Amino acid sequence: MKKIEGVMAQTNAPKGIDPDGIFFVQVDPTKCEACGTCEEVCATGAIQAINEDGIRAVVDPAACMNCGQCLTNCPYSAIYEGVSFVDEIFEKLQDPDTVVVSMPAPAVRYGLGESFGAPTGTYVGGQMHAALRKLGFDYIWDNEFTADVTIMEEGTELIQRVKEQGKKGARPLPQFTSCCPGWVKFTETFYPDLLPNLSSCKSPIGMLGPLSKTYGAHETHTPAKKIYTVSIMPCIAKKYEGLRPELADSGFRDIDATINTRELAYMIKTAGIDFNSLPSQKPDPILGDSTGAATIFGNSGGVMEAALRLAYEVLSGQTLKNPDIKVVRTHEGINTADVAVPGFGTVKVAVASGLANAAKLCDEVRAGKSPYHFIEIMSCPGGCVNGGGQPIDPEVTASLFRSTVAKINKRFRARRVSA
Amino acid sequence: MKMNRRGFIKACGFMAGYAVLGVNLTKEAVASSMNFVGLRQKSVYDADAKIYKVRKSQDNPMIAKIYDHKDGFLHEGPCGHMSHHLLHTHYVDRSARLAALKAKGFKFNL
Repeated sequence: MKKIEGVMAQTNAPKGIDPDGIFFVQVDPTKCEACGTCEEVCATGAIQAINEDGIRAVVDPAACMNCGQCLTNCPYSAIYEGVSFVDEIFEKLQDPDTVVVSMPAPAVRYGLGESFGAPTGTYVGGQMHAALRKLGFDYIWDNEFTADVTIMEEGTELIQRVKEQGKKGARPLPQFTSCCPGWVKFTETFYPDLLPNLSSCKSPIGMLGPLSKTYGAHETHTPAKKIYTVSIMPCIAKKYEGLRPELADSGFRDIDATINTRELAYMIKTAGIDFNSLPSQKPDPILGDSTGAATIFGNSGGVMEAALRLAYEVLSGQTLKNPDIKVVRTHEGINTADVAVPGFGTVKVAVASGLANAAKLCDEVRAGKSPYHFIEIMSCPGGCVNGGGQPIDPEVTASLFRSTVAKINKRFRARRVSA
Repeated sequence: MKMNRRGFIKACGFMAGYAVLGVNLTKEAVASSMNFVGLRQKSVYDADAKIYKVRKSQDNPMIAKIYDHKDGFLHEGPCGHMSHHLLHTHYVDRSARLAALKAKGFKFNL
């Protein structure tokens, strides 16, 4: 066990094992104060009381979507991570025979600065790229580039689905986004009948892994077998996604290691890098350049807005003058919108933030009553910026009042049970 | 233990306090964290509008390069043959394990 930015983590780097058997988050029973916050924020009910004292635990990995909302909301830091690749990545960075590739997600650059004293949400994209170079990553590629690729692929798939309606073998509508690994596992577990509605597109990181070892290897004249890809995410569920056995289309493991924002901050601190004095640097091109459409993937409603910026132009044949499509921007709950596209008609969309809200939309689709063409789901309320791998909100653990009350509650309950 | 009137009222006060706090604590925690999320969300939209020079995926020059019809790596365009091989996937029905847990008596929210 190792403490990483206030969160304990088991430093094992699993290889070739079924991720379905791994507890990516689990409760340390000696630290649990039985306050029940985790149970409150868990959409599936995977985390629940396991004894009369109210001590919580994730009862089985099959019911856990690995979103980590329990972990980031626990006032006692009682929840730890079950998987961490940081030690292995440090080894690979020092190995002259390994070409280590960085693949940071959009939301990482809006959380990382907080670990170095910056105000909440400060954008540190340039310094993040500089820090990755300093850490010794050979190629500073960026998951935002494949967010743009995702828009091209997923947007095209949506347009195909709309056009093939009524024909034989048509893929069903609405089309669900497939970027969020918690949501993908959620569909596979709770709504397997809706899998045909899920976009067949891999998530941006699912695309950047294989592109690094094929296109990237070719463009940089690097033997693909020497490449070690590091996915850097605001997320814990991405660790599960990286271990999915089917993600090996490059001829190798597409994603070799997955860490989150907290672990990157830990690595920068451990390497003795003064983050705040770093200059702003650009990623390496080919698989590094990105757009505003890619960076908004970090917010709930962002994939939707980015996809509409493409769909509008493709369907209408006109240029979208103002790329801001504010109606789909979602802070919490469910957001729906009718977007008028000239020469096509109305595109009906919905965005759900949080899996409890996702379930409502899923039930609607299951009942055949969903009027939408395209639905975006994010497991974490607000989107990836609020992911389970982001720096912890100091407010969550800061309230002495709140923690004192919970401690008294626990003692009170313990006495009642023993009396 | 004998309970006098003053002690009884005091105990009632505590109980009422706990009852109210218990309900509101988690709600409060969630509400304050949404404010925190709001700050990060605002920063994302500010960067989209002010920092990123190109704002549509299809206008990214590196996207044009990879999908170039002549010699791009994905020259067949989005959802082409190479795209389907590298960038698309399939999903697995994982409901059986959940059903097995439910059969064992575990209760979940869905």
